[in-house]
Amino acid sequence: MKELLTCAMDIGEQMLVCGAEVHRAEDSVKRMCLAMGAERIDIFIITSSMVATVYTADGEALTQTRRINGTGTDIERLHRLNDLSRHICETPLSPDEIRSEYRKIMKTRVYPFWLECVFCAVIAGSFTLFFGGGVIDAIVSTVIGALVKLLGYLFGKAVTSRIFDKFICAFVASILAFCALRLSLVGGVDKIIIGNIMTLIPGIGLTNALRDLFTGDSIAGLLRSIEALLVALAIAAGYFLSTLIMGGI
Amino acid sequence: MTQYELLQIITGFLGSLGFAILFNIRGKKLIFAALGGGVSWALFVLLQFLTPNEALRYFIVAVLVSVYAEIMARVLKTPTTTFHMTALIPLIPGGSLYYTMASVFDGDLGDFLEKGLYTLELAVALALGIVIVTAIAHTIGKRKTLK
Repeated sequence: MKELLTCAMDIGEQMLVCGAEVHRAEDSVKRMCLAMGAERIDIFIITSSMVATVYTADGEALTQTRRINGTGTDIERLHRLNDLSRHICETPLSPDEIRSEYRKIMKTRVYPFWLECVFCAVIAGSFTLFFGGGVIDAIVSTVIGALVKLLGYLFGKAVTSRIFDKFICAFVASILAFCALRLSLVGGVDKIIIGNIMTLIPGIGLTNALRDLFTGDSIAGLLRSIEALLVALAIAAGYFLSTLIMGGI
Repeated sequence: MTQYELLQIITGFLGSLGFAILFNIRGKKLIFAALGGGVSWALFVLLQFLTPNEALRYFIVAVLVSVYAEIMARVLKTPTTTFHMTALIPLIPGGSLYYTMASVFDGDLGDFLEKGLYTLELAVALALGIVIVTAIAHTIGKRKTLK
């Protein structure tokens, strides 16, 4: 049972790391433990920590806690973890089988980095057009989008603070937009900056925050809301600093 | 539908596609996630014939897109989040958020408040739409497991 609990906790932990709502992770761990023969399970998860106690049929109580560090978004891996957890609920597997499946899932492919850069550029360019920018604005925005993604990647390796990371990205994107303006490439910076802000905005943070907040996980929801708010403020701060440096609009 | 609105639907789709790639969505899910982005803006555009109130349109689209996400999640047996966050991306009020920030430098307090409140109004409408559908889907899901 101890090993099975460890496996279930591993799966729950990774679900959170991949961007699942708290409710989903709690529910999955709970169902898996019950399917594997637990009498009762008490589980409490917030975005950075999880605690679970399992009561076995012979009256033993097992507790495990996890500290969850760093969250990203990897939907494919989340999807496969979710499948594995459903599978375990239907036909219980041995700890070894679960571990080998888990290891396979951890090796889930991600899109290559250059493709991520390309699509970051596409996002920035698209939203520049979306908010009413011209073709030249979109082209400049596309270039900045790719550069910012590259910078975010390099910077992300050196600094672990996501908030500071976004601040730098927003700052550089705005500075580059102002440079394009000074070089008379474009008529205004607004559409270019909007396009690039869209690539930085914590959209997933906010939707998950709302989903958590209103499905009964108030603490996790609040934590996520505050994080999303801080990221938004960091983006605004990056923009402000660049505007101050470049001498107003 | 004007040419600009058509362009918005296409770029909305492309933007959602971009985010879907960054979130590592693959296969069939990628198509439906990106499609959601185009559809959500198309709905927003079409709803202007019903009401000129943008916040109300935001709310209606958020509800419809959330329902779409819940349905697709059940059809493709995958977490709802996959379709939810990608499809709602074109609705993020990035433009009005930027103009709110920019108005700080103009020193016009009235302008700042007006734009800030408008952004807040859109965000609340969006949130409300998401929340209502999530709460309903959650309740239905719970009743199913109880049975």
